[in-house]
Amino acid sequence: MKNTNATRSTLKILLPYLRDYRGRLAVVGTLVIATVLIDLVQPYLVKEAIDTYVSITNPNRTAIIRMALAYFALIIASCAMTYYQEILLQQVGLSIVRKIRIDLFNHIQRLALRYFDQNSSGRIITNVVSDTEALNNFFTQFLANIIRGSFSLLLIMGFMLRLNVTIALYCFLLIPLVATITVFFQKRLRKVNAEVRNRLGIAIGFLAENLRGMSIIQIFHQEKKQQQRYNERNRALMRATIIENRYILSFFNVTELLGDLGIATLLWFGGGAVIKGTLSFGVLYAFVSYIRRFFQPINTISQQMNALQSAIVAVDRISTTLRETPDIKESPEACAPHVKGRIELVGASLAYRPGYPILHDIHLTVEPGQRIGFVGATGAGKSSIMNLVTRFYDVTAGAVIIDGVDVRQWPLEDLRRSVGIVQQDVTLFSGTITDNIRFFQPEISEERVRDACRSIGAESFILRQSQGYDTVLSERGSTLSAGERQLLSFARVLVFDPRILILDEATACLDSNTEEILQKAIHRVSRGRTLLVIAHRLSTIQQMDLICVLEQGKIVERGTHGELLRKQGNYWQLHQSGVMQLDEAA
Amino acid sequence: MSGFRLVTSYIRQHWFIFLTGIIMVSVASLLMAVIPRILGDITNQLHHGTLNRADMARYVKIICAVGLLRVLTGWGGRILIHQKGRTLTYTLRRRLFEKWNSLSPAYYHRHSVGDLVAHALSDVEVVRELVSMGICQAFSGLAALAGVIYLMAIHVDWRLSLAGLGPILSIPLLVKWLGPKIKKQSQRSQEALGSMSQIVEEVIDGIRAVKAFGTEQVVIGRFIGTVDTIVTEKMRFVRLSSLFSSLVPLMVNLGFVFVLGYGGVLVTLHLVSLGDFVAFTLYITMLRQPMEQFGNVLNIVQRSSASIKRVETLLNVDSDVIDRPGVLLDRPLQGELRVQGLNFTYPGTDRRILENISFSLKPGQTLGIIGATGSGKSTLADVLLRLYEPPEGSVTFDGRDILNYPLARLRDGIAYVPQDGFLFSTSVLENICFSDDYPDRERAEQCAHVTAVYENILNFPEGFDTEIGERGVRLSGGQKQRVAIARMIYKNAPYQILDDSLSAIDTSTERQILQNMREVNDRTVGTGKSTIIISHRLSAVQHADEILVLDRGRIVERGSHRQLITLRGLYADQWYMQAGIEPGTGLEEELREPVAEAERDLNEEMAQLETGQMEEAA
Repeated sequence: MKNTNATRSTLKILLPYLRDYRGRLAVVGTLVIATVLIDLVQPYLVKEAIDTYVSITNPNRTAIIRMALAYFALIIASCAMTYYQEILLQQVGLSIVRKIRIDLFNHIQRLALRYFDQNSSGRIITNVVSDTEALNNFFTQFLANIIRGSFSLLLIMGFMLRLNVTIALYCFLLIPLVATITVFFQKRLRKVNAEVRNRLGIAIGFLAENLRGMSIIQIFHQEKKQQQRYNERNRALMRATIIENRYILSFFNVTELLGDLGIATLLWFGGGAVIKGTLSFGVLYAFVSYIRRFFQPINTISQQMNALQSAIVAVDRISTTLRETPDIKESPEACAPHVKGRIELVGASLAYRPGYPILHDIHLTVEPGQRIGFVGATGAGKSSIMNLVTRFYDVTAGAVIIDGVDVRQWPLEDLRRSVGIVQQDVTLFSGTITDNIRFFQPEISEERVRDACRSIGAESFILRQSQGYDTVLSERGSTLSAGERQLLSFARVLVFDPRILILDEATACLDSNTEEILQKAIHRVSRGRTLLVIAHRLSTIQQMDLICVLEQGKIVERGTHGELLRKQGNYWQLHQSGVMQLDEAA
Repeated sequence: MSGFRLVTSYIRQHWFIFLTGIIMVSVASLLMAVIPRILGDITNQLHHGTLNRADMARYVKIICAVGLLRVLTGWGGRILIHQKGRTLTYTLRRRLFEKWNSLSPAYYHRHSVGDLVAHALSDVEVVRELVSMGICQAFSGLAALAGVIYLMAIHVDWRLSLAGLGPILSIPLLVKWLGPKIKKQSQRSQEALGSMSQIVEEVIDGIRAVKAFGTEQVVIGRFIGTVDTIVTEKMRFVRLSSLFSSLVPLMVNLGFVFVLGYGGVLVTLHLVSLGDFVAFTLYITMLRQPMEQFGNVLNIVQRSSASIKRVETLLNVDSDVIDRPGVLLDRPLQGELRVQGLNFTYPGTDRRILENISFSLKPGQTLGIIGATGSGKSTLADVLLRLYEPPEGSVTFDGRDILNYPLARLRDGIAYVPQDGFLFSTSVLENICFSDDYPDRERAEQCAHVTAVYENILNFPEGFDTEIGERGVRLSGGQKQRVAIARMIYKNAPYQILDDSLSAIDTSTERQILQNMREVNDRTVGTGKSTIIISHRLSAVQHADEILVLDRGRIVERGSHRQLITLRGLYADQWYMQAGIEPGTGLEEELREPVAEAERDLNEEMAQLETGQMEEAA
């Protein structure tokens, strides 16, 4: 019951996409029928040749040649039709999948950050990549094979019935037998196959992990033990593959045997009829040929059930994603004010999960150009304040007001362009350095990118890369050092020039050279902006105009460095503990 | 054929099974050619009206027998050969792992784990395909062809044979010609899919940046670009594969048409019997599959030669670090560790990583090493562990060169904690007891106490038996490091090296762990352990008997914490910076002492903070 429901909902999602291609799909169907027909007419032709032209006392030679020529034309046509039909079907499938992919990705981009925080990135990626690929398989493999398989089965039956109803009906008795055998083997094969993949995953996972930890194995002198463990997994895998192989071979051979026995039976009864003269020899021949062709379509159809299953699962997941509604929506009468950089938090509270508030009633006003530092343990709510200012999340109570307008009344794009973030782990994309800095927006000139890099002292290391600004960053910039990546993100800020800058301060790096450049760059970048800093070290925060100490979602202390030290409260304690690297423990 | 030695030697080793398998498969194929022949004979008798019930019964019996026999031989032969193929995959993978077990880290610097795994996965499979499928299909194809040709040669007119078989014989060529192209294009479309997946991954992982800069539309544009590439590449693939899948049936059908027309005419002229005509039409359809497979074999041979070469190269690598030949000092590692004028350059490069490093470490002493990323700290550890070979005479244990010890003795004598706290995805207990074949639970628990991770472990769903990694709990960076330190302590070796392995642990826990370790060390009877602590955080080394400050491979400052602070050099600067104080604010005096009094009562609070974080992380 559940299954049929799932199938129905799958169709519901797919039908609108399919509708656009109705015409082409009809063409595909027609062509498939035509090619199958041409293929299956072969035994019939031989039968005709034997019964009407050859076996008679006065053979008709020209008729035979004419028939051969006609069939020659047919097979050429069939070749062209097969070619065209396959391409057409694949084209339809690929276009549909393309459309679904784009729709899905578009939709995901519209979703608010909550969605990305609640769903692992791996799941989302699987959704966009693998699930849509499973759909592609549905079109290109399942649909193609099901159409061809079922038509040839039907047509074989038709031909048989046309030749001789009694024998045909006897032959049809084979269908349930073949189907049972096929289902029996496919079911087991699927199970064994899953086991093989499982064991392969284990063996490969073990191998990869051990290669990565090879130095540990060697240092602890455990090569023998690990080898033994690997052998166990490897052997388990081998056993499973041998069993899988046996099933495949058995299935293949059982059907072969069944085919031979079928022919023998047919000959026994049919041959008797031919001797008695109740059956023409040609008809017997045709039956012998057709009976072998029974197996293939049944086998194909049963194999495709896997593709159908995974397509249903995939569509189900895709439709779940498409049903997600974005939490953060632009207000219809949104209108951007003149941006100066004044931030007000008025009793702002935030709960990621209902009933588990992270921020309680925060009141804070930041004047344009002011620099604020936030200090506190992990989970104290530092990042949550930033999530509110950028409107990654909406407040559960209170309001966030930027330049006199509630952020919920801002057009989203204007808001995000007015508030910039520099994060600890810099996000880089595969592309050139220039494109990474201007975020692939060609309307930002290369000159502007260069100016930005120059002014923060990033140019020297960029020019040292193989292609300078045009160096393509691979694997998300893993070839660059943490400091260099940080510099690129500063350049990004300069290029986009937001009024408000949020700085998730990077952890200490001991390399004194980079440290100095970075400090200068931070200075340069923060000039003339409202600055919110999530601090990890006390040294950078001392010069801030205001320091807020957060604890369990509340601002427990605020003041300048000097004021807070004199108070001898939480800040003083943090300071006393010497090295402040609270976040690293997380 | 020398490139195939790996395979030929394996086949020679199991020649009996392979020979039996090949014979059985060939017999099966030959028998398959018999059935159309029998049908032809029946036809002839029918046509001449000489067939009676008894003949019919005989034919039916023969068909049943032949069918049974061919299925059984084919089945058995394939099972034998395929099974041997799978044993070969097992053997090759085992040998690869044996080899990899013996190679030093230098090798793993040059080769990515992903590549190596790919070799063990796909190259080995390709070799298997050659041995199992390749052999089966080649011999069954050959036998089927030989059988058909023989039967035709003795029964059927040669012109008819040529007409019918000509197009079919071109199928292997077709496979050989189009097969590689199709495969290549299929790889291209896989790559296109890969690049789309990469974009999605980047965007989803960097979604904060994308949204923060309001650049969703840009990202969507890039995504559509890759989706379009997929469509283009896939269509190219489809065009090729459709060409193949329409041409193969065409060849078969062409053969059929010739037989139908030409053969039909020959029958009417009584040059060919009706039975031969019937047998022939059946041969045509019968040969299709073996011919396709035959073409396949040609491709497998081509493909596998590259794979075999790669596997052979992998198996023939020699390790950089091996026991010296000759008599080695077969005794436990002990005594003073002395490094004298050590210079080190990675093999194959010319940049000097370590320059003129000298120090000595007596049993019971602790040495701290401080330095920035790239200053050579970890390289020094690698050399002491002899993961890389130091120059002769520069590293000695108890006055004897490190190179004169067998690797086994050396590695048994040193315990180590890696920077990333690398753990295996087995249970916590097995990880801590990694150095032991039979885990000692009680000792593991003691070690966990020392590294302040005991409580955390008890909070895991199955305590010490909880699996680490994807199947079990995911540990935070600090937890990983603490388990890894427990693993080091469990090993109970006379030398201990901690390679920046406290970096993800907060300072108060770090202090507690180091304190515990000192206490354990003090309690041990006899000579204590020599410990080397490498760190970029000064708090980890402040208790050390001596601290070395490394910069670009050289020791730039050395001394105790107190001496280095007084020196007012690089170390002192760092200390002030990490503490967030300007020098000369008066706090200085306090900080010179390793543990300032004011910090004592903070410990408790920090511990609370810590547990709070852990809960959050969980």
